[in-house]
Amino acid sequence: MANNSSLPGPTSSGSPRLAKPMRSAVFSLCMALLVAMPAVAALPAAYSPMVVQPTGAPARAEFDLTAALARAHSEGRRLYVYLGASDCPFCRRYEAFLDANATELKPHFANYLIVDLRSSLSVNADKLHIRVGNRSLPYAEFQRSIGDERARQLVYPSVWLFDASLKPLMQMPAGTGTFQTVPEQLEILRLEQ
Amino acid sequence: MIWKFTGAWSLMFMLASVAAPPCSAAVGGLPTKTAHTDISPEWERLREKLFQSRPIEVTDSRVQLIVPLRAAYGASVPVKIVSRLPQTEALYVKRLYLLVDKNPSMLAAVLELTPEVGQADFETRLRVDEYSHVRVISELSNGELHMDSRYVKTSGGCSAPPNRGAAHLIGKTVLKVPDVVTMNQLTPADVTVVHPNDTGFELNNVSVMFIPPHFVRSIKVSYADRKVFDAELDFSVSENPTFRFNFVPHGAGVLKAEVEDSKDARFVGTLDVR
Repeated sequence: MANNSSLPGPTSSGSPRLAKPMRSAVFSLCMALLVAMPAVAALPAAYSPMVVQPTGAPARAEFDLTAALARAHSEGRRLYVYLGASDCPFCRRYEAFLDANATELKPHFANYLIVDLRSSLSVNADKLHIRVGNRSLPYAEFQRSIGDERARQLVYPSVWLFDASLKPLMQMPAGTGTFQTVPEQLEILRLEQ
Repeated sequence: MIWKFTGAWSLMFMLASVAAPPCSAAVGGLPTKTAHTDISPEWERLREKLFQSRPIEVTDSRVQLIVPLRAAYGASVPVKIVSRLPQTEALYVKRLYLLVDKNPSMLAAVLELTPEVGQADFETRLRVDEYSHVRVISELSNGELHMDSRYVKTSGGCSAPPNRGAAHLIGKTVLKVPDVVTMNQLTPADVTVVHPNDTGFELNNVSVMFIPPHFVRSIKVSYADRKVFDAELDFSVSENPTFRFNFVPHGAGVLKAEVEDSKDARFVGTLDVR
């Protein structure tokens, strides 16, 4: 099983084809990404996320969605569940994108209760559990139970869209790379498939 | 573990992975031509090579392509081809061309069909390397060409392909039909070949070498020694290439799939149908 790393634009081949100037540019970008990682790993406070910390360490990292679902139900909102890792550069990138565009995007999140599941890359698919009520399932089983095609592989960051009864609203892609522009984030919030 | 990296992000991803375990990548600005019916320079070039100046009708009146805007994984994008005409001797879908505009190798599959398929609907899974149009061109037996296309957004990361630990299973070819098959009726079937379908762009992070391409080149499906369809394939087809198709059994017989890969290995799968 192998996923693609992709970028909208003209590049599409393996790294051996990169010209020297491109290699330098990519290297610089990489270093900048690593150095510029914010100290705080979290969704921006502007979105008022409901933070869920894992329990059960070190054997497992269990995230309990029960309270979030109850709150979403009482408020008549959907759930925008974000799984980020404290040591994941691409999570920081998505969080930075949300932060930079909070003024424009926040009103469009009004129908969503944003839930911030705070994990780390050491938490793999076997370790990660999702609890709802008295039922706790490991990642792959949880994905299968909701009919999500991402059961094969855990990718950080991940986003799920649910209604208040935990029914998935749309099949989401692995990663957040396909909705890191404002128009694309809005596509997701509008459930455009 | 074997990781796959493509595009300019390859090097960046490799370097980033030194500091942290692998995770998903892909961001960027929006391309401009993103409508499902838009054309691309890549398509225009290939169109000239494949079809020269032959007219291609761009509607979904004869063929429809169903692909999600965003698939769960870019390495396994579900693609469904729906033909809007039955396969009859008088007029039938003769060939289906499946393309991914932005892939290193655009032409993912060419299916050569016979009326034996009954209904020229197919499902498979493709690798989509970056934001791209996916196209199907249906060539009818009267020479008409029809096209439908969808714009697809993908991003990805890395993982360990399951075949790596089961090399002895490579080539295993499995055919499936419903438990009850009614003769002379349209019958759905699946053919799956266990195969890594290596693209040549995948990096083994232990050896730091790119894995040589190794992929299924062709699948020839027949029933009772009559050709159903032949598929010429490329590494744009996802690992463990799978096709869902139809056929019409006119009596008990053997459904057979003959497979050849890019290392000239040959595999055969059969299924008795009664």
